[in-house]
Amino acid sequence: MSEFLRAYLTVAVFAGAAGLLVALMLGAGWLIRPSRPTAQKSIAYESGVDPVGPGFGQSQVRYYIFALLFVLFDVEAVFIFPWALRLESYGLFGLVEMGIFIVILALGLVYAWRKGVLRWV
Amino acid sequence: MTPAVIAQIEPIATPEIEWFAVSPLLVLVGGALVLLTAAALARSRPPRGFYALFTVVTAALAVACSALLWQRVTDPGRGPFTAIGGAITIDGFSVFFAVTITAAIALGALLADDYLRREGLDGPELYVLMLLSGTGGVVMAMANDLIVVFLGLETLSIALYVMAGLHLRRLESQESAIKYFVLGSFSSAFLLYGIALVYGATGSTNFGAIAGFLSGNVLASNGLLLAGFALLLVGLGFKVAAVPFHVWTPDVYQGAPTPVTAFMASASKAAGFAALLRVFVSTFDVYRLDWRPLMWGLAVLSLLVGSFLAVVQSDVKRMLAYSSISHAGFILVGAEAASDRGIAGALFYLLAYTFMVVGSFGVATLVGGRGDADHGLSAYRGLSRRRPLLALAFTVLLLAQAGVPLTSGFLAKFYVIGAAVEADSYALALIAMLSAVVAAFVYLRITVAMYMGDETEGAEAVTRPAVRVPPGAALALGVAVAFTIVVGILPSPVVDFARDAVPVLLSAP
Amino acid sequence: MNDLGFPLLTALIVVPVLGALAVALVPRSNAALVRGVGVATTLVVAALSVWLLVVFDGNDAGFQLGEKYTWIADFGIAWNLGVDGISLFLVVLTGLLYPIAVIGVRPHHDPKPYLAWLLLLEAGCIGVFLSLDLFLFFVMFEIVLVPMYFLIGGWGYGDRVYAALKFFLFTMAGSAFMLVGIVALAFLHQQATGELTFDLVTIAEAQGSIAQTTARWLFLGFAVAFAVKVPLFPLHTWLPDAHTQAPTAGSVILAGVMLKLGTYGFLRFGLYLFPEAAAYFAPFLVTLGVIGIIYGAVVAAMQRDLKRLVAYSSVAHLGFIVLGTFAFTTQGLQGGVIQMVNHGISTGALFLLVGMIYERRHTREIAELKGLQKAAPVLAGVFTVVMLSSIGLPGLNGFVGEFLILLGSFPTRRWWAVVATVGVILAAVYLLWAYQRVFHGAPDEANAGTPDMDRRERLIMAPLLAAIVFLGVYPKPVLERIEPAVDRLIAHVEASSDFSQPEVAATEGER
Repeated sequence: MSEFLRAYLTVAVFAGAAGLLVALMLGAGWLIRPSRPTAQKSIAYESGVDPVGPGFGQSQVRYYIFALLFVLFDVEAVFIFPWALRLESYGLFGLVEMGIFIVILALGLVYAWRKGVLRWV
Repeated sequence: MTPAVIAQIEPIATPEIEWFAVSPLLVLVGGALVLLTAAALARSRPPRGFYALFTVVTAALAVACSALLWQRVTDPGRGPFTAIGGAITIDGFSVFFAVTITAAIALGALLADDYLRREGLDGPELYVLMLLSGTGGVVMAMANDLIVVFLGLETLSIALYVMAGLHLRRLESQESAIKYFVLGSFSSAFLLYGIALVYGATGSTNFGAIAGFLSGNVLASNGLLLAGFALLLVGLGFKVAAVPFHVWTPDVYQGAPTPVTAFMASASKAAGFAALLRVFVSTFDVYRLDWRPLMWGLAVLSLLVGSFLAVVQSDVKRMLAYSSISHAGFILVGAEAASDRGIAGALFYLLAYTFMVVGSFGVATLVGGRGDADHGLSAYRGLSRRRPLLALAFTVLLLAQAGVPLTSGFLAKFYVIGAAVEADSYALALIAMLSAVVAAFVYLRITVAMYMGDETEGAEAVTRPAVRVPPGAALALGVAVAFTIVVGILPSPVVDFARDAVPVLLSAP
Repeated sequence: MNDLGFPLLTALIVVPVLGALAVALVPRSNAALVRGVGVATTLVVAALSVWLLVVFDGNDAGFQLGEKYTWIADFGIAWNLGVDGISLFLVVLTGLLYPIAVIGVRPHHDPKPYLAWLLLLEAGCIGVFLSLDLFLFFVMFEIVLVPMYFLIGGWGYGDRVYAALKFFLFTMAGSAFMLVGIVALAFLHQQATGELTFDLVTIAEAQGSIAQTTARWLFLGFAVAFAVKVPLFPLHTWLPDAHTQAPTAGSVILAGVMLKLGTYGFLRFGLYLFPEAAAYFAPFLVTLGVIGIIYGAVVAAMQRDLKRLVAYSSVAHLGFIVLGTFAFTTQGLQGGVIQMVNHGISTGALFLLVGMIYERRHTREIAELKGLQKAAPVLAGVFTVVMLSSIGLPGLNGFVGEFLILLGSFPTRRWWAVVATVGVILAAVYLLWAYQRVFHGAPDEANAGTPDMDRRERLIMAPLLAAIVFLGVYPKPVLERIEPAVDRLIAHVEASSDFSQPEVAATEGER
């Protein structure tokens, strides 16, 4: 076995120990607990509101679109901050590159806007 | 900020951009962005077929740029070169794939035109995504660096995930998009891990540097490198739909809108093979004894599983999906030979296959009818009576896929078989040819339905809605059939094109 | 370009293709013109093949009228045609049998695609006989499947789809082995000589560039393809289905021309390219041939369907040809070649006659037919002559071929020849018995009104009868043109293997 693979032996030992521990604890619980099944216990939530309707319910898509747009510009910011800090060393090349990046993203925003995504219906 | 401070900042060496080298990419991306923005800002709807026309013109421009690049790389005085800091290679290989993928874009756009109107989905999105996805494919072919391969792969794939789910009202389309996305991301992870391991073993992601390192050093323990090979093969094998990484193919091909399937089967497969050939056959050439058996296994499995499972299908799109798996096996036969002739054979096969498969799925687009649902074998029953020319075109394309002489498909098979025999892989060559016979049964079943199935269900054939053949699709089919036959009879120009497009290994300057 | 100043061989292949295109371009509504163009094309090809017969130099053993144009330079593939004594008569047979099949049989529907496919088939068949390039040969050998597939599937009877699929897949599977063999042969030849070429003569004359064991394997690869096409027992099962379900013209061409592609392949490629391997495997192949003779005859005798009976008789006849081919004697090979022509004429004629009976009675069940002799005396008379030719009655063509084959194979394959002789007797049994049941006796109500042959049918049977009698009485002009090429082939085998032709069998000219 190479040195490289030997280093992973620890990982394997830990993984095995973790699995063993979980199995032990769950197994002990299963052995000693009493079993009294009732219909109530089979419901997804034992307390609170009873679930109604099929599992594949429809939900409003607009939250997701806004969330998506937010993530988009959030990630853009993640790129822009470090770039701004080192702008001098990138020089003109860096400026143009980031310009292209922002323009392309802005085109996406324009598209979303024209598609009426930004209107809250 | 004083001048003194500015002087302290050490400027980062930014690479020189050779605009000429990336001109096909720029044309494709530029076309996509212009189309998207213009379509979004336009007050009124453009005339019918404008989007498709725009896409075809963009593709034609990209081909023109590729032609100029071809002149440059085949000019003995100048030859192939790397650009953008050694990130991409411009050689015959890149140009070949630029042409192949762009052809797939143009044909796919022609097919999509009427399809989108028919399904009430008309808009620029599919064309934009097709152009962007194609760009990713060309990037993969041009890549001279594993990271760039990954970049291209993701651009190609992410656009394809969306395209697969573009048919909003078809549940199968949504299903195929999700399946493709989940499995595709999974395989991307494999590829990325493979890249990391190869980097760990060789100290570089640049192809030239990796090849230089591998030929210059003998590794005491190469477990890391071999694991990297295996993971890379998994990632790329998924993209080209080689068994055992094929399970997504039938579902996704069946569910995706048919013009998208046509594009997926041609461009995405071509791009995957571009990366596979450049990474394995060209870069890892020194370790061919290690990866050739793997490739052998993939080829045999793809050939057998693809052709045998195609036989038991009843849906034409699924049949074509499985047959595309067996075609991947054939191309792998060329790759397994690990020789220049093998690569050239694989390239010839890919170009011929692009036209055959786009044409075949093009026919499926038309026969599928409104709702893109009518893909059972029974939909083709008696097609020769209702649409004799369409049936004839499909027959030519199917026989070409079966490898009947005087079609490009036969030459393609002949080419890769020749390469395999030259590399002493007799068993592989024989398995390939026999699985072609099995696959031929599938194609014949479809022709039987078209030509000989009219008597038993004559009444039904009358009540079926007429198959419309819109001009755009007719043009695409005409081009595909003409290419298939002309190259089958006079293959020399394409043979030479493929021969001169064997990849070269260049280190970063 | 050849000495003629006219690319005759290319024309023989191109004219049918052009004819097929012309047929395809004529509007469907104009049925008379469609048929006219089709018939005219076959007549032009027939005239060209007769011209070929006239200009052929009977004393030259090599390939004549050669034409060679580069096709795919990168692989050394050329459009390379030539004709010698072995292929000459097969080309002429194709050229002359076609007008008869096209004029004699009218399809029940869609005459336009039917004629187009038939003409493409003709181009492919002639192409196989004329190709001197391995690649070109394979292309032609394989392309004939497509028209035949559509002819059987589109215009055939009964279980036609099954028959068409079986025919296509069987042959294609055989060809798969041959393609790998061809490619391997070319690359091995390149490794030995440095020149990548698919030229038949170049590779065949460079004996020794391929190791003995390798050559044997390659021969087997070719042999599988040819054995399916012949067909040799036990690969024959596609034949009865294809022949029985095919439309009449298809059966005529299938039996008359396409079965010869296999036996011709054995002669031209098996023996010429791999003489040593051919000699090595000859006992095996001869055994299969003789099994085919006996098996075909016995099974034919059991058939209830007249067309199936004729189909199985083909298995037996082709067995004779294989026996003659692998006897490696002048008479045996000569007999094999002339028997190919004979079988084309007589079995083609038999299929035409069975087709005529079917047109009249709409059944081919022997049990349903009775006493046709009373109702249709001319039909019965013609049938008698053709049947006797097929049996091998002296004075008719079948006798010449079978006699030469038995004569030629007796010195080298004695016991096989003895068993094969039994096949001759069995042929008489099953054909005469079938004749008796169909034509003799008093016709019942259904058969009494059977009309006799009309003028068109008599007209198309006349040349076939003339050929049957002419070849039976005076085969010399044919035999003396075949002989030089056959002698050359045997000399080639003798030069490259330890086989040598026994003295008895060698002809006067050689000693």
